Amino acid sequence: MNELTRDERLVDVFATLADTLIDDYDVVDLLQTLVDTCASTLEVAAAGLLLADDGGELEVLASTSEESRLVETMQLGAEAGPCIESFRTASVVSVPDIEQARPEWHEFRAAAREQGFTGVYAVPLRLRETTIGALNLFLDEHRSLGERDLRAAQALADVATIGILHERTLRASDAARAQLQQALNSRVTIEQAKGILAYTHDVPMEEAFELLRHHARSNQLPIALVARQLVDRAIIF
Amino acid sequence: MDGFAAAASALSQMESADDELTAPILEAIPVTGAAISTLGDFLGTQTVEASDQLAARLDEVQFDAGEGPCWDALALRAPVLQPDLQATMQRHWPAFADAVAAQEIGALFAFPLLIGPLRIGALDLYTVQPMELGTRDTKRSEVLASIVSRHVLRRAMQTADSVIDTAEDRAPNSRRIIHQATGFVIAQLGISAEDAHLLIQGQAFAQSRSMREIAEDLLARRLSFERADNAIEDAR
Repeated sequence: MNELTRDERLVDVFATLADTLIDDYDVVDLLQTLVDTCASTLEVAAAGLLLADDGGELEVLASTSEESRLVETMQLGAEAGPCIESFRTASVVSVPDIEQARPEWHEFRAAAREQGFTGVYAVPLRLRETTIGALNLFLDEHRSLGERDLRAAQALADVATIGILHERTLRASDAARAQLQQALNSRVTIEQAKGILAYTHDVPMEEAFELLRHHARSNQLPIALVARQLVDRAIIF
Repeated sequence: MDGFAAAASALSQMESADDELTAPILEAIPVTGAAISTLGDFLGTQTVEASDQLAARLDEVQFDAGEGPCWDALALRAPVLQPDLQATMQRHWPAFADAVAAQEIGALFAFPLLIGPLRIGALDLYTVQPMELGTRDTKRSEVLASIVSRHVLRRAMQTADSVIDTAEDRAPNSRRIIHQATGFVIAQLGISAEDAHLLIQGQAFAQSRSMREIAEDLLARRLSFERADNAIEDAR
């Protein structure tokens, strides 16, 4: 893939995201689109977005795959790994060779290695002086990200931040906090809805999420809304 | 808002463990007294609250005798209505009957306290004179009993020494698993997310395990609330 094509694709991505932000949008849908496009344009093996809850603990809000080992790997990185490091220092953390990761990140390293990842990058979600989370990018086959890739990743992370907090709430920190909590709460409902579908259809969580997304897409509804309806037993599928 | 709606609303909104659960019930249902108890292995057998001495006594007698309307209501998972207790108790529960023969009780109505498959205890309502409870008040008592069940379980877990919400359960990845398992329980029993969560918590509490462990059992389909956990229903 040549440089120009990637740049063109990035332009498309930002245009799409900008369009989304102008309209009424659902934050979960936006973040899901963001991690998916992040993975495809930057050609990373997996991407995940983590947000800090009230207690400052990072939680996976969107991920390119709902496969539980991947989600767990991201959570490990949020306990002791590049993700928490990026969150704390509000800067990009690059680990192009996972084997060179710090000794205290051994649990994360083992999990990432098991998933076949060879490198990981964490990009902070910043809002002025505070950091609200981090974007994680996982690479395989010893590929690495260049300076331009990381700038693009940071720009995508910034779009995510804006999307989560809404421009109009930036002035009031309480409102921003509430917005953040709402995003995390919708994740609770989505997990419950995944459980309902996984049980009813007897499929893995990963597939349950796809069912949820598919239903949301074909009915042009936000994922979070469909999840809420499932949990309230207002709909069954 | 009529008396029943007010009582249901008052009961639902109670948050403090000091609030009297029987008071709103007595305002809504035309009986003399009420007693709430936990029964069986799950939370142990004891009176949670009684509106008067006789209500408390009625519960104790049933505990000691190991038989009585409250035990039957819980076993049957259905109300046990005795509009004329003195006339029928000797036949059904001889040990209980001997112990309460001297008491001034006309009618006794026992309602099970249940949350999904969990058997929590019973709500006993009594009157001095024999009295039919009627379909409407029976239905209303069942609704109030279901609200009481949640309070009783929550309070029991709050006051317990054992830690029900472990640090492990609060980790993000555990929470995710617990939420997914909550979805399993919603699908299995068709109950609200709040009840499903409470059920997982109750199960963890009952088995002295973490919620995450219960959740993992549910997701691996080693545990299901759909299957009756014992054969009492089948036996009837």
